[in-house]
Amino acid sequence: MFGRIRERYREAKHKFANVRVDASSYGPIPGKIKAVQTRLDEIFSQCNDLVIKEISCGKDGRIKILVVHIEGIVDRRLLNQDVIHPILDYLPSVQSEDSSSIYQQLSKCIVISSDIKEVHEMWQAVNFIVSGDAVIFIDGEDRALVVGVKSPEGRQVEEPDTETSIRGSREGFVENLPTNMVLIRKRIKNPDLKMEIMQLGERTKTDICICYIKGLANEEIVREVKERLGKINTDAILDTGIIEQYIADNRLTLFPLVGNSEKCDKLAGKLLEGRVAIICDGTPYVLTVPYLFIESIQATDDYFDHAFFASFMRLLRLLALLTSNLLPALYVALVVFHHTVIPFKLMITLAASQQGIPFPPFIEALLMIIAFELLREAGVRMPRPIGQALSIVGAIVLGEASVAAGIASNLMVIIVAITAVCSFVVPPLIPATMLIRFVFLAAANFLGFLGIMVAVVAVFTHLCTLRSFGIPYLAPFSPLTAHDLKDSLIMVPIWAMITRPKILRQQENVRGVKGSKRQEVDKGRDSQKG
Amino acid sequence: MTVKKDKGRKALLILLLIFPLLLAGCWNNRPLTEINIVAGMGLERTEDGKILVTVQVAEPGAIQPASAGGGSGGEKSKPVFVASNEGETVFEALRGMLAVVDKKLFLSTAQVLIIGEKLAQEGIGEILDFFERDYEVSYLVDVIVAKDATPDELLRIESDMDTIPAVYIKGTVENTAARGTVKKTLLIDLFKDMDCKGRQPTAGQITKSSDKEVRTEGLAVFRDGKLAGWLNPYETRGFLFANNELKGGIVNVPVDNGKAAFEIIRSKGSVSVEVEDGKPSMLIIRVNAEANVGEYGSGGRLDSLETLYMLEEKLGEEIGKEIEMALEKCQKEFASDIFGFGIYLHKYYPKCWKEVENDWHNIFSKLPADIRVDAKIMRVGLVINPVGKGE
Repeated sequence: MFGRIRERYREAKHKFANVRVDASSYGPIPGKIKAVQTRLDEIFSQCNDLVIKEISCGKDGRIKILVVHIEGIVDRRLLNQDVIHPILDYLPSVQSEDSSSIYQQLSKCIVISSDIKEVHEMWQAVNFIVSGDAVIFIDGEDRALVVGVKSPEGRQVEEPDTETSIRGSREGFVENLPTNMVLIRKRIKNPDLKMEIMQLGERTKTDICICYIKGLANEEIVREVKERLGKINTDAILDTGIIEQYIADNRLTLFPLVGNSEKCDKLAGKLLEGRVAIICDGTPYVLTVPYLFIESIQATDDYFDHAFFASFMRLLRLLALLTSNLLPALYVALVVFHHTVIPFKLMITLAASQQGIPFPPFIEALLMIIAFELLREAGVRMPRPIGQALSIVGAIVLGEASVAAGIASNLMVIIVAITAVCSFVVPPLIPATMLIRFVFLAAANFLGFLGIMVAVVAVFTHLCTLRSFGIPYLAPFSPLTAHDLKDSLIMVPIWAMITRPKILRQQENVRGVKGSKRQEVDKGRDSQKG
Repeated sequence: MTVKKDKGRKALLILLLIFPLLLAGCWNNRPLTEINIVAGMGLERTEDGKILVTVQVAEPGAIQPASAGGGSGGEKSKPVFVASNEGETVFEALRGMLAVVDKKLFLSTAQVLIIGEKLAQEGIGEILDFFERDYEVSYLVDVIVAKDATPDELLRIESDMDTIPAVYIKGTVENTAARGTVKKTLLIDLFKDMDCKGRQPTAGQITKSSDKEVRTEGLAVFRDGKLAGWLNPYETRGFLFANNELKGGIVNVPVDNGKAAFEIIRSKGSVSVEVEDGKPSMLIIRVNAEANVGEYGSGGRLDSLETLYMLEEKLGEEIGKEIEMALEKCQKEFASDIFGFGIYLHKYYPKCWKEVENDWHNIFSKLPADIRVDAKIMRVGLVINPVGKGE
């Protein structure tokens, strides 16, 4: 089955490559301003948001200057202040006929912006125009000036809805790439924090930023990230979710192989562990690689809380993960196969709750789980104000009424409810859990505990085969890296976490920097004592 | 070409892996709603030599009224029903029962297995064989032998204490076992002792004390798989003392003017046989018991060592008497070695055991016994000056 999918994918890719718009067909920038205008009109036909401002200068106004930008995405004030005004002020004094000297002057002293580039190809100029810069063409010059006047407008930095925490920063990423970069830079004030920008998507020209700390991140992983990003062959990148699917090691697995986060402090923490982040313009979700299984049961709060408490919470999350996967299956296996392991009194309770239910437990469980998933999905999709109605329907109709009507047993409702609550404890694995739960359930119904064991072994085998950017997914448990167990299920206090996770193979493994302020302070304290 | 071949092999492998899953199919796949949960089971021999099987089945719906719509509304139904059926064999009788009851019987949940007196007298080997072969009955079910009542009667009582009579019966067995007047016997214990020549099987005894109550006290003693007779509660305790199976109990000791009651806290007993000239010459029983004073009828302070030593001695005598009674009954009346002297011989004097093995019943019943009990008093209670006696 997968083989066929892969073949189709290959065919489609091939076709796509043939029909792709060849950007370089725009050719170089023509020397004549008329030609430039015609080219631009051709390229931007029916684009009413394109603004071409023509300014004449030189002797008798023979030399014409074109300022081209797209309405709305440039900062109007900045454009006027940095570009239009200086040019208009400067113009009357120009008497030269030499276009190149005008160009020189414009680029050197007239346009007061720190972000000036020079382009020679038409497609480059077009690229800058569509990404929100202003481009200045000068008559008689086969090059153009690009002035960065992008408007930083967008959503304010606010607390992310998806990842809330009791302690820790409330700042979340926004849709604007520069803002996001600033949010990270604010936390890690160090020139070693590298941010490399590239563009992806043939049509959308989305800015992507690869972010890592030089000296901490493994060079190989950084290279691998760049290579995989470079291989992405698509015309549209709308979200990091799309990038995630392209760069994952195993593209068919249900388990997340690339992490994502909306929280700035979490991302800073990941970077400091030696991970690589991928930020994409237009989405607040930032990717981190490599992503290991253990990360899904780690929470940012863990590092800010007492280590004992955090360790307990992690164990609890693991329990929740297992419960949400296995509980319905275990229940069905118990009720259908393994009556002997149920204590007598509990068996009476179970049998009492089962009485009068017209469906076998498997069907019953399936119905209730699907009903719950429907509720969840409806809760996500529908407009917020209707939420109340939905919860009433969910609680009363599906819970109480179905029991009262004798369609589901009250015990099954409890089991599905516990399963649901547990699945919310580990959000990164919700999609995987949701689907695997059905597999376990079916296995339990056909083979009881034996079936569950077979399914569990299969899932674990699958997990063992997974890699995220070359790092084994189940690390530090498989392969066992005793060194990294300090921050796994049981967490040691943060002051005892002297070294970074070894499995990521950073260049610099110790967290404290030699001769750092802290060490000096410690030394000072010691000498005072002495 | 090779790739295709590999693919074919892979597909075959996957198919082969799937087949066993299908083969397993619905094996033993029975929803809880399609079984009758058996709470207790009874076996008796009828007049005409057939086996009468009685089962007590719990009705979960009546015990725990489920949801409003789910259960059967209306008048309250009984928490259990009892059905019985006759057959030439246990298996036949049990299967024949399906003509009477609505759903398949699920035997693993049985709390007690009551064996009728008559059946026990004729031998339990036959029925044990069925239980040993059948995978359904749990080996950990409590086995008790009914005295002066049929299992059918006992299972049909309606207890006020627990909605399920079988659970009530099991509860009484646990209680008296903790008091040391009945021996808690699991089915698997019977299996073990049946095949062992060095020790004869025993099982608890149950009688019907009223329409609503049973009494589980005493011990059924078997000999060669047949019921040989009964031990009364005191003898039972003596047996448990010697067998190191006593968990506790109250021993009364006559003192100057009245009686003192001692609560046994710990007891360690061992049996052995003395062998002279390659022949067993003496049965030896050693018991170390620790007790607290629970009641001291004659009153007075218990603060002198002399009194305590005297009491310890008397307690030891009393325990010894109980053991003696039990041993004498087993030797003289039943000629059945329930203490396991034979096991000791087998273990430490295998050659000697080989010789006496076949005639052990007779040899055992004629051997003299040496019983020594060492009793210790640990605590005398919270009082120093008891009420009314503290001059």
